[in-house]
Amino acid sequence: MPDGDGQSGNEIEIEAVGKVFGQGDTAFHALSGIDLTIRTGEFFTLLGPSGCGKTTLLRVIAGFEHPTSGRLRIKGQDVVGQAPNQRLVNTVFQNYALFPHMTVAQNIGFGLKMLGRPRAEIAATTDEMMHLVKMEAMAARKPSELSGGQQQRVALARALAPRPRVLLLDEPLSALDLKLRKEMQTELKRLQVETGITFVFVTHDQEEALTMSDRLAVMNQGRILQLGSPHEIYHAPTERFVADFIGETNFLTLNVIAVQGRGADLALPGGRTIAARVAEGLTPAVGTTVSAVIRPEQARIVPQGTGELSATVEGAVFFGTDTHIHLRLSDGQPFTVRRQNNDDLADPAKGETVGLSLTPGALQVLRG
Amino acid sequence: MASREFNVRALPGFGAVAIFTLVMLYLPIIILVIFSFNESQSQSAWGGFSLKWYVAAFNNSQVIDVSVRSLWLALVAAGIATVLATLAALATTRVGRFPGQTMIYALINQPLMVPEIVTGIALLIFVAFLKVQTGYAGMGYMVAAHTAFCIPFAYLPIRARLETMDLTLERAAADLYATPVQAFTYVTLPLLVPGIVAGFMLGFVVSLDTVVITEFVKSAGQDTLPTYMLGQLRRSVTPEMNAIATLFLALSLVVVSLFFLITRKRG
Repeated sequence: MPDGDGQSGNEIEIEAVGKVFGQGDTAFHALSGIDLTIRTGEFFTLLGPSGCGKTTLLRVIAGFEHPTSGRLRIKGQDVVGQAPNQRLVNTVFQNYALFPHMTVAQNIGFGLKMLGRPRAEIAATTDEMMHLVKMEAMAARKPSELSGGQQQRVALARALAPRPRVLLLDEPLSALDLKLRKEMQTELKRLQVETGITFVFVTHDQEEALTMSDRLAVMNQGRILQLGSPHEIYHAPTERFVADFIGETNFLTLNVIAVQGRGADLALPGGRTIAARVAEGLTPAVGTTVSAVIRPEQARIVPQGTGELSATVEGAVFFGTDTHIHLRLSDGQPFTVRRQNNDDLADPAKGETVGLSLTPGALQVLRG
Repeated sequence: MASREFNVRALPGFGAVAIFTLVMLYLPIIILVIFSFNESQSQSAWGGFSLKWYVAAFNNSQVIDVSVRSLWLALVAAGIATVLATLAALATTRVGRFPGQTMIYALINQPLMVPEIVTGIALLIFVAFLKVQTGYAGMGYMVAAHTAFCIPFAYLPIRARLETMDLTLERAAADLYATPVQAFTYVTLPLLVPGIVAGFMLGFVVSLDTVVITEFVKSAGQDTLPTYMLGQLRRSVTPEMNAIATLFLALSLVVVSLFFLITRKRG
């Protein structure tokens, strides 16, 4: 996306950033070799399990932690060594961190006050922000008099009021109940589009990451495993961890028969051959065994003798909108099919042998 | 019955012990207050209501002298001690672990652990040396001694408050463009006020109360109220002492009530 400065559309450039806590044998590598470019105006998500380094990376961007190695530029400017108050970046904290001795309006106006803006401008922006997050009626309240969702809105307004270039959000929805979280997801997306500010969002919730992000990075053990659009991450995972962490999936161990370009032909149990996509940077050798994935909704149950695979039904679990049918392939590997409950279909009987038809091009060969 | 919660009321003799303790704590004070209004000079026989001992106390220029000295000494010593204790508390909670931190705690709290008589004698010798060397014999020694003694009492509540404060609040202030000084002024300090008030009041009460330190450090004519009253008791006990003690009791009740009002409003 082009931007007004006539410079590149990159908001944050992270090069080979590492962060080590402690020394010697007890050293903990919280971040290793992080290379990442976040574009101006995008909703970017860092996704991973707790302890994967996503919050440390966010704190490095905010300036609360200094990287042990590597470079970090915000809008082309090297910010390593800059204190948090010198960076045009604001944070929405996981516990909101609202100042308990200040009113809602004072909380929201704090950043502008510290920047030395005139009183009239602070008042006007505070009003505008309270309107933006629908908290006008609460201006004189203290944070302790607000509900969790309201505190969340104030924290957002407070971070947005100084109009930062980048808004960092550290698992801001994790303390809310399910219904409120869904509401705030929509609300956050709306605010991001309306303000045009670059959002960097940290979460361990894969659904949240898929629904809100323009792009996301999946992290584990201090590294970025895969970077891409939600669609790419979900449908073309490159690593076992990514495939496993995002949604449910079927792992198959299969033999390589032929390799051509970015694809490979794999031998399925039962003797048939199937074309599969191969993760970037990977060239499987003919005759070796590889790990491949396919999502449960990318296979259909068909009459016995048709389809690419043959399987025995082990059971079915009803989930309302869909049913998960657990199967075992002819060579003993487990397989799950997700079937939408569009029709009042009868579940296949336990022990019954059925055929499986796989969506063409859905099978993906993983790294490692 | 085994599943019932532990209940102290069920302990045999609990009520009796509680009542006995309360009586021992408050009965002497009540008697002291009652006899401050006694017409007669007796501490045991009631001779009718009178305010004459209060009048006597107010007309006794020595009592006024030592009371004023006690009050300003307590104010100044507790004030300086609170400032120093706040700085010490910030250094021991906001700087991160450093070598010798545990020893620093011990050093700051030293007056709580060393018997007062030891501190007193040490101060006596040290102050006598300084008086000879400098020729100065003013109240400076008393202020310094009381301040040193008050520091741990002021330090403990302030440190406790800092330790329970959410560190992300200061981080949020820094994130919102506050310089370290602004973050302290607008966020840390306002939230620290209840701890500072508590620390000051503890220091004030301790300074007002201490006999041993004063006795060893004071020069001629530097009596505080406690040392003056002790001196008077050696001669004759009159209800005038009761009246003075009652006035100070009233003062401390006012101070403590104020403290509760301030902290409740903030909390």
